[in-house]
Amino acid sequence: MKMPVKIKVNHHSYQLEVEPQETLLEVLKNKLKINSLHRGCEEGECGACTVLLDGKPVCSCLIPSPQADGKEVLTLEGLNRDGELHPLLEAFIENYAIQCGYCTPGMVMTAYYLINHLTHFSEENIRKGIEGNLCRCTGYIQILKAIQAAKKNKDAGRWW
Amino acid sequence: MITRERRILSGKGRFIDDLEWPHMAHCVFIGSPYAHARIKRIDVSQAVKKPGVLTILTGEDLVKRTEPLPALSDFSGRPGWHWRVPRIYPLAVEKVRFHGEPVAAIIAETPSLALQAADWVEVEYDPLPPVLDAEEAMKKGAPLVYEEWGDNIQLHTVFNFGDVEKVFQEADRILKVCWRENRVSAFPLEARGCLAMFEPMEETLNTWGSYQCPFRAQHYLSHVLRLPQTNVRVVASDIGGGFGNKINSWKYTVVGLAAILTGRPVKWHESTREFMLTGPHQRDVRWEGEVAIKNDGHILGIKARFIQDLGVEISNRDYSAPSIIAACSSVPNAYRLQGLRVEAYGIVTNKSFYGAYRGFGKDKGAKFMERIMDRVSRECRLDPADLRLKNFIQPHEFPYKHISGLVYDSGNYPALMQEALSAAEVDSWRIKQEELRKKGRYVGIGMAFVVEPAGIAAPNARFSGLVQARVRITPDGLVEAYSDRTEIGQGAERTNTLVLSQILGARTEDIVIKPVSSDIIGMGPISSRGAVYSVSALARAAKGIKALIIKYASAFFKEDPANIRLEGGTIYSTKNPENRLTFKELADRFYFRPGPRGLPREMQFNHETLLDVSSSWYSPNNAQNPTTTYTTFAASADLAVVEVDIETGVTHILKYVHVHDAGKIISRETVDGQIYGGIVQGIGEALYEELVYNERGELSTDSYGDFLMPTALDAPHIVIQHLETPSPFTELGTKGMGESPIIGSKAVIISAVEDALSPFHVRISEAPATRERVRRWIRNSPAR
Repeated sequence: MKMPVKIKVNHHSYQLEVEPQETLLEVLKNKLKINSLHRGCEEGECGACTVLLDGKPVCSCLIPSPQADGKEVLTLEGLNRDGELHPLLEAFIENYAIQCGYCTPGMVMTAYYLINHLTHFSEENIRKGIEGNLCRCTGYIQILKAIQAAKKNKDAGRWW
Repeated sequence: MITRERRILSGKGRFIDDLEWPHMAHCVFIGSPYAHARIKRIDVSQAVKKPGVLTILTGEDLVKRTEPLPALSDFSGRPGWHWRVPRIYPLAVEKVRFHGEPVAAIIAETPSLALQAADWVEVEYDPLPPVLDAEEAMKKGAPLVYEEWGDNIQLHTVFNFGDVEKVFQEADRILKVCWRENRVSAFPLEARGCLAMFEPMEETLNTWGSYQCPFRAQHYLSHVLRLPQTNVRVVASDIGGGFGNKINSWKYTVVGLAAILTGRPVKWHESTREFMLTGPHQRDVRWEGEVAIKNDGHILGIKARFIQDLGVEISNRDYSAPSIIAACSSVPNAYRLQGLRVEAYGIVTNKSFYGAYRGFGKDKGAKFMERIMDRVSRECRLDPADLRLKNFIQPHEFPYKHISGLVYDSGNYPALMQEALSAAEVDSWRIKQEELRKKGRYVGIGMAFVVEPAGIAAPNARFSGLVQARVRITPDGLVEAYSDRTEIGQGAERTNTLVLSQILGARTEDIVIKPVSSDIIGMGPISSRGAVYSVSALARAAKGIKALIIKYASAFFKEDPANIRLEGGTIYSTKNPENRLTFKELADRFYFRPGPRGLPREMQFNHETLLDVSSSWYSPNNAQNPTTTYTTFAASADLAVVEVDIETGVTHILKYVHVHDAGKIISRETVDGQIYGGIVQGIGEALYEELVYNERGELSTDSYGDFLMPTALDAPHIVIQHLETPSPFTELGTKGMGESPIIGSKAVIISAVEDALSPFHVRISEAPATRERVRRWIRNSPAR
């Protein structure tokens, strides 16, 4: 039984037919070919598949795709514009916050949310905010530095 | 060229999850629900008729069509060695020996169609009692993992270094030390996987995927699939974390066979659970030892019994059997021991196989030694830092041939230790510790010192030490480099680029690091050998290219080669500034205008008309010293201050200092990334992570929800400092350094927790120090 779903992904609208059991991750990855998204644990434990759903970070592996009907999804691809990397992503590069890069597309979506919405922007709160995004390579230290540097960029107007 | 980081952040990663090919089919493995059982019958006749199923493979098919998995290291027949090699296939034949062991592979149009068909695969098992503990497995009458062996001992030997009997007679005191590390592994977020496709034109099986070591995977696949090596080509795709876990390629052989049989591209990307159930497991060792000491704190020697719980086997799915040698020969660590005897056992049990994980084996001896240091310090009331300083190999003694036969290249251990002590402000923490104890707060100061043998080259194993690197200048003036050093997140691309840019004076944007494939000979990034073998080979190739460029430029400029400089992407003469060519201009003149006719006739006669150099490198340390299996010996000192909440058992890290000597550093940021990441991984091992099998032999910790890797909340602030004692053996003075951080951090956290619990006389002899264990240790303490 296919279900119709209207979904906006990275500023483009799509009308899709989905299976009820198909997850948002499967639809984004397999149907819409959102390449940056990665399948991790598929249990919501690792955060590798994090996207913003109506502005909030979610593990796309846990969201049944029909639930995304009428909603807006943002992934790493939607942050960049005109072939330019988003300033947040530049901060990840400058601070050596990427090692293998598998967790990064999910990690940066959580980071983007935190930078835009954390009312008390402190290292402790960033740590709490990214707790659901596992990284096996960096030990998080350079990621924390990158997020703090990106916030400074934002405060200085280098942001979109 | 666009860097890998920039490419991934542009959404153009090519991880296994991103690989697609038109007409692609999918492979899904079906695993055994039992830890140990005889397979009475497998019937796939219903399943194979289900929608979308192309074929289903079982062990029987593999017996007909493939070779058994080859022994990857074989010391059988060596005097004193008991070394057994099982006859096994990647899909179980007759018997399953661990929970999750693959019994069938379903090839279908989609993964979900394969999974639907899986319900129709009928396997009739006759369950057998599992054996899940190495010491139980050694008892007479224990269930046998391989009946044909008659016991469960895969490896057994005695390592005898120096004169242990003599030093035990000279000892003032002998102390007993026991130490056990439980089972863990890396399990990076990307599990294993590959895409395989048979290409009729070249009759070649092409495969892309999470291959940490493509050259060795080629060798392995070609052997198992009975194909000449020239008909197997392996390419590493983007790899989402390696840590040794993606060196093995046993399941990949089934995907290759499926591609050959179906004529379709076939993809396999396992789940995290499958990775944990059927992936390489590590650690799971126990030591029972005695240490001979003088009253002044000089450590004379050690006798120990070492048991490694291998799980189902250590020799055929992965390359790890020599880790038993690394474990025993790394016991002396940074200290001048005069005698060491280890009776070592590798015991098979009904758990997943033993494979590589950051540390490999050399971690185990060093951690045991650091436990010994803490024990001696406590029992003899000697300051733990003084004790280490007293026993260190001294800076003037390098190269130092240890009793183990390893030849340490260079180092300055006292300076490292002193630097760490002062950076951690240990003296003031000791005062604080006393004050806080009076308030019922338990703070502990731990220390650990680790020597990291790097760049293995061993006989009778697929670690021969061979390596190749190739550098060429393309006709449009780019520097193109081929190496065996797969990028697994350790910064291979960045450091290789820096090496080339420094030697050739080329702009980094003109340097292209090609994906690693089996076309280049080399063992791949294992044993921290990137900065030992791969970088040395690359540096030699780059120097070769530089010499050619100077030769050709001096011909073009009609100038003495001594005047030619390479810098900032140009080749110029120091005498005549008008003589200047960019790499692009030089390449154009060399290849086309005028081409070889523009070269001096002598070069034409010598056929020296290529800007393409392939080099090798073999360790001068190995060449000079046949007893050493490693080339460089980086060292690090870790100091940590922790606070243990004795009610909850939770450990908080208050301060962490790491002082490292990795020889000449190519990229500080890359080295620091290895240090931060390694330390936090080691903290996970010290406090949280543990692979637990229940009494039926089922893996209870088969998800990130149960196998607790550190999160951002668990990473402490880390102070890093560097010393640089160049290696005399490598081409650039670099040393391998990817492993000492994980070794030292596990050791130092255990050391600090024990120190925090010293009022309760707790002696830690097991890791991880989970909160449950900490509470139990306190509860059972004689002081309570």
